[in-house]
Order: sequence, then structure tokens, then C-alpha cells
Amino acid sequence: MWARWVAFCSRTEAGTSIAVFRIAMGLCVMLTVGWVIAADLVDVIWVDAAYGGMSVVHPSWWVAQLGGPTPAVMRGLAWAGVGAGALLALGLGGRLTALVTLVLVQCTVDINGEAGGSYDELLQNGLWLCVLGPTTTTLSLDCWLRTRRFTSDAPVGVWARYLIVIQLVVMYGSTGLQKLSSYWTPGGDFSALYYILQQPSWHRFDMRWLAYVFPLTQLATAVSWFWEVFAPVWLLAFHYSATADQPGRARAFFVRWHVREVYALIGLVFHGSLLVLMDVGPFSPISLAFYAALVHPWEWRTLARRP
Amino acid sequence: MKAWPHVRAALLAAHLLAIVLMALPSPQGGMNRSAWKDPTVQGELAAWTLRLNAVGIGMQQPEVEELAWNLANAYEDGRGVVLAPFMPYYRYCGTWQSWRMFVAPHRFPGRLTIDVMERGEWRTIYVARSADHTWRATQLDHDRMRAAIFRYGWRHYRRSYGTFGSWVAARVIEDFPDAERVRLRFYKYRTASPEEVRTHTEPEGEYTGALILDLKELR
Repeated sequence: MWARWVAFCSRTEAGTSIAVFRIAMGLCVMLTVGWVIAADLVDVIWVDAAYGGMSVVHPSWWVAQLGGPTPAVMRGLAWAGVGAGALLALGLGGRLTALVTLVLVQCTVDINGEAGGSYDELLQNGLWLCVLGPTTTTLSLDCWLRTRRFTSDAPVGVWARYLIVIQLVVMYGSTGLQKLSSYWTPGGDFSALYYILQQPSWHRFDMRWLAYVFPLTQLATAVSWFWEVFAPVWLLAFHYSATADQPGRARAFFVRWHVREVYALIGLVFHGSLLVLMDVGPFSPISLAFYAALVHPWEWRTLARRP
Repeated sequence: MKAWPHVRAALLAAHLLAIVLMALPSPQGGMNRSAWKDPTVQGELAAWTLRLNAVGIGMQQPEVEELAWNLANAYEDGRGVVLAPFMPYYRYCGTWQSWRMFVAPHRFPGRLTIDVMERGEWRTIYVARSADHTWRATQLDHDRMRAAIFRYGWRHYRRSYGTFGSWVAARVIEDFPDAERVRLRFYKYRTASPEEVRTHTEPEGEYTGALILDLKELR
């Protein structure tokens, strides 16, 4: 068992998928932090009440060393975060840039836990995976500096891509298992999405019209719940599609019925709907950044060759 | 060099163990007795009491609540012990796994309303998601402000709500030089069922959590 695990962790592939993930994560950092700057909210949510902010914040060690959560310090950290996100997207500085970006993001979004959401945690998880994995092997300035080309076939460990996919599946599976409300679970009336979309805290506009298409919201609730709870099946489907040349009836079934793609399609519809109907910050863009790892490196090449 | 594949495999296994353990379902964040008195939570407990009764487990709602409270506390205690060795990894590497997203609809949400008193008369300047009362809406309607304001609607965030109220008062002083007072409150209501929307019999709500600040004292 251990020998198989060690052998699996030693397998390699081209680094295209994790490079696309790294680019997407860099853009998500710019979006997440830049959106707060654009809304003129840095002084409001990330600065302590003692300096004019709206909350008593909890600064990290880094923020304290820089002088505390004052407007000047927090504005500087926010702009540094945007800059680090840009460097991460460009792929300059390898793992160090990812680590610096992670620290800057923690200095800002973690300072006020009341003014944030799970998207902040997902972003940080993704950045840590950029620290662990060699994401600048290709599609990066690092690659250009090393080879004078922007792309490279240099192999990277497949584990880096699996960690990204596992993180995505853990998130969906965990949130699904915690949806124990009678509005979500079988045995109830699957009205959770209808009622959630009535909450003024999150909807973009008045959603009472959903009462006239209530059965559709029930269907969407049921599909969402089952899709999330059975997310581990997606991991299996991903693994089978990555090893499609190997034997096995279950593998053949999953590949033939495109289970990985069906799960991804439901996810795309789910996040697309979320973007249109609700304002839950950058949750959908950050989640979709993880989808880059679901696409195999050879598939990215096929997509790139298409006119 | 021969050791590295084994070390790497062990580190990857440790990472996976850490994130999966942390992601296991947990009521953390909802373990507040005053929050359990909210009609949304009481509604959930009532629904689960009915379900338990339907499968032959004869329990009353207070018993179900007490059992759930005790089980949740015991589970959280055990979870804390298991996760303790991984805490530095979560904290410093950003690997928290808190995915309690929309675990239940909030059937009794609150809509923040801000009024100012000028020459003895209250005037509404902001209502969440309103097209008519839009004072500082670009800030107050931002997703991060929505997250904070959503929390302020719960009683156990009263202290944070008070700090937020002071921030609002300072902004009102800037924008309304003649204002004498500012009032923040939540219009709390039960969200209408599909039938109630279709028959135009939507339930009335009430204002709660009123916070009134005298601006003369703050100037």
C-alpha cells in the first residue's frame, strides 16, 4: 500500500494544468483585493475602529510589525496584494511569490473575519497549493527566463494537480454534508434554494418571482444537494479519466459516460447561476479557478491548438 | 535522494489528513444558545422533531434541542482534540476548511434600515437592496459589507453591531450636517412561501435591534 502511494506521488506529467490554475489564482487575488480597493472599503473593513474603521479588527503579526491596522498600512498591504497577485499570474518568482501573496492576502482578508466568507479560505488554500506545487514550470516568466520560451514540457509531479482537485472535492463534499436542514435533505420539500434566494443579504434583486417557478427551484435544490454530497465520485471520475488507458469495468463506465465532464458541467451551471442571482463575492471565480486542474495537460494542448 | 520520495509521500499524506479532518462536518460557529432561540433555528428543530416522531422516536422539541446541544458540544470537544496538532498548519499555511455555506435558509432575515433625524423628523436614508434609499449603497451593498451586516442581525454580534453603528454615525455627521440622531434597525420578517407570494398574502415583519445614536454628543 505504502509502496503504491510512494509510486503514485512520484508520477509526473506536463505542468500546463497547474500553470493555468496558478494564473487563475493570481487573477482571483487581484479581483478579491482589488474589488475592496475599488469600492473604497479598505479604510472601512480592514482598518481598526480606533483609526476610523467599522470594526475592532484582529491584525496578524506582520500587520502589527508594520505599525498596526492604520489606513496607511492597510492600503499599502492591499496594493501590495494586488501587485503580488499580478506577479503570480505572470509566473515570476516561483513558490516565493505564491508564499508572499498568501501572506499578503492573510494580512488583509483575515483581519476582519466578520467581513468575509468561505471564499477567503478557498483563496488561501489555493495559494498554499501554489506554494507546494511547481506551478511556474510553464506558461510563466520564470519559464521564459530559464528557456527563453513561455512554454515547456518539463515534467512536474501529478500530486500537485491531484491536491487541487481533492481540495475542490473536499470543499463541495463538506458543504454538502453540512446541509442537514430539512429544506435541503430528502424527506423535506427541497425548498432551500427558493428560500435562500429570498434572503436580502445575498440576492442581487428581488427574487419573489421564483414562486411562479417553484418546482424548478426544487429540482435545482435536489441536484445541488446530491451533487455536493456525492462530490467524492467526481474525484474518482477525474482519476479514471486521467488513467483511462488502464483496465477496469468501473473505469470504462466512468470514461464512457463522461462522469467527470457531467460533474463539471453541473458545477459550471451552478456557479453561473450563483454569479447572476446572488452576490457572494468572488466565490464562483475562485472555485472555477480550481476547475483548471480537472482538465488534463494534454487536453489543454488540444484546446490551445483549436482555431 | 532515495529517502525523498518517501518523505514527500508522507508529507502529502499528512496534508490530506489535515484538510479532510478539518473539513468533517462541524456545528462550530453555530454553538451559541441565544442564536438557537432565533425562529429560524427553532423552525429547524421543529422540523426535525416531526421527522423523529414520524420514525417512531417520541421526543418533544425541547428534548431534541437539548440532545442536539449536548451531542454537538461533545463532538466539538473531541474534534478539538483531534485537530489540535494541525492548528499551526491551518493558521500559518491558510489551510482552514470551513465550508458551512448556506447550511439552511434563514427564514427570518433582517433588512438593515438607517434613518436620520433632522429637525425632529425621522427620514430613511438607507434600506438594504432598496432602489429608493441608497445612502452609501456602493459601500453598504458590497459583498463584504453584506457578510458583516448579515452577522449584525444576530444577537450574539451585538458588540460588533454597536461598533458598526458608531462608524455609521461618523459618516452621517460628514454627509448630513443638520442631522441630530441616527437610527439603525433591522426589519425582521418571515420570508414568504411560494403560495403566499402567489396569493399576495405575504407576512408582515417588525423592526428589531434598534440602535439610536445622538450625533450632537459625537460632534
